[in-house]
Amino acid sequence: MDVLQSYIGHIINVMPSLLQGAVITIEVTSLSVFFGTIIGIFMALGKLSTKKILRIPSLIYIDFIRGTPLLVQILLFYYGIPGLISSVTGEPLRIDPILAGVVVCSINSGAYVAEIVRAGIQSIEKGQKEAARSLGMTHSQTMKDIILPQAFRRVIPPMGNEFIVLLKDSSLLAVIGVPELLKSGQLYVATTFASFPVYIGVALVYLVMTLTISRLVHYSERRLGVGND
Amino acid sequence: MAMIEVHDLHKYFGDLRVLKGISTKVESSEVVCVIGPSGSGKSTYLRCLNLLEEPTTGQIYIDGEVITDPSVNINKIREEVGMVFQRFNLFPHMTALKNITLAPIRVRGLSESEANDRGMSLLRKVGLEEKADVLPGALSGGQQQRVAIARALAMQPKIMLFDEPTSALDPEMVGEVLNVMKDLAKEGMTMVVVTHEMGFAREVADRVLFMDEGIIMEQGTPEELFSNPQNERTRSFLSKVL
Repeated sequence: MDVLQSYIGHIINVMPSLLQGAVITIEVTSLSVFFGTIIGIFMALGKLSTKKILRIPSLIYIDFIRGTPLLVQILLFYYGIPGLISSVTGEPLRIDPILAGVVVCSINSGAYVAEIVRAGIQSIEKGQKEAARSLGMTHSQTMKDIILPQAFRRVIPPMGNEFIVLLKDSSLLAVIGVPELLKSGQLYVATTFASFPVYIGVALVYLVMTLTISRLVHYSERRLGVGND
Repeated sequence: MAMIEVHDLHKYFGDLRVLKGISTKVESSEVVCVIGPSGSGKSTYLRCLNLLEEPTTGQIYIDGEVITDPSVNINKIREEVGMVFQRFNLFPHMTALKNITLAPIRVRGLSESEANDRGMSLLRKVGLEEKADVLPGALSGGQQQRVAIARALAMQPKIMLFDEPTSALDPEMVGEVLNVMKDLAKEGMTMVVVTHEMGFAREVADRVLFMDEGIIMEQGTPEELFSNPQNERTRSFLSKVL
């Protein structure tokens, strides 16, 4: 009973800092998916382009990001690149960990969103493009007015997935000291050694967030009538 | 010069030769129906006329302008060539009216209210004024195809191409679409119609082309072609469909 009581005590004690960490987690994830979506749309259009100068950079970007671990990307961006710049300029260079986290996660998310958007664009019937082009609309008008609005509805479910994946993967930012949810738990464990209750608490907070998001996605799918067209 | 002139048009899909030398002219206000068995290349021929398919070799002139030259601005040409598809291809995320007004606003630079006026009068013309604010998914096939015709007409094209416009319709809806097309023909629109509706071809066409194996096997007035076909292939095709 003493053990249980002390576990409950630790969970109650750590919860405020876990919730603060969760706010950072949500902020970093939201910003990253937002910027990742912008990057991803352009990269998807690049990958589908007939022009090599647009297609090849997109292909390299998507393959590099999807083919390497996020943890390695984080370390490369936070330690590796500043180290390289310092050794050239001779000046020490430090980046804010949260800023670095948002940048790396945006770049990472962009590659996955690119594939989601590409699949969404390619799922629109060829006749839609033909109808628009036969009316004299240009390629970019067709994309903007006809293809992307329809693709948008179809990518909501996979985009919701991407948000959930990134929300969980943002825990990797703990290694560069971003004070997100996992890091907040680790800091508490470092002084109390109460690893079991704290990490259970961390896991539960992640679970509550991911379940909430998947409910929201499900609701918006129904609102927008995804799959009814 | 004729409204459409085609010189020795060839089209390959990989190794498959779909069109093997098509030459034909369509005069202004002429209605030409293209008939033939499936796989004969008639849809490919039609789709070459607005470059939805790129010809492998040959020249196409639309209203005196060569469109097969790589330097030509195909968007400008397509503004003058309306197309109606077998599967309607309405934009499902826009109302019937918006389907019609989008291209005139984006491409012709009409104001929203000019385009709406034009759109409403076209909806009236195809008998669907009360469906202006309805999404395509809530319309029957025949209604969708009539909206699609109105959409193409809203660009005020010089030529209308129809690619089997009634083939995807339930039988009871074929008539309403053909009636709209008949009206259009009476108004003097230049039309090329790929169709399996022999009754329509006989009644409305000025000239009928019979295509098979990638060439025009025979052509003539509906009278000549339907009542007195010269070619063995034409006879055997007509005996199956009439």
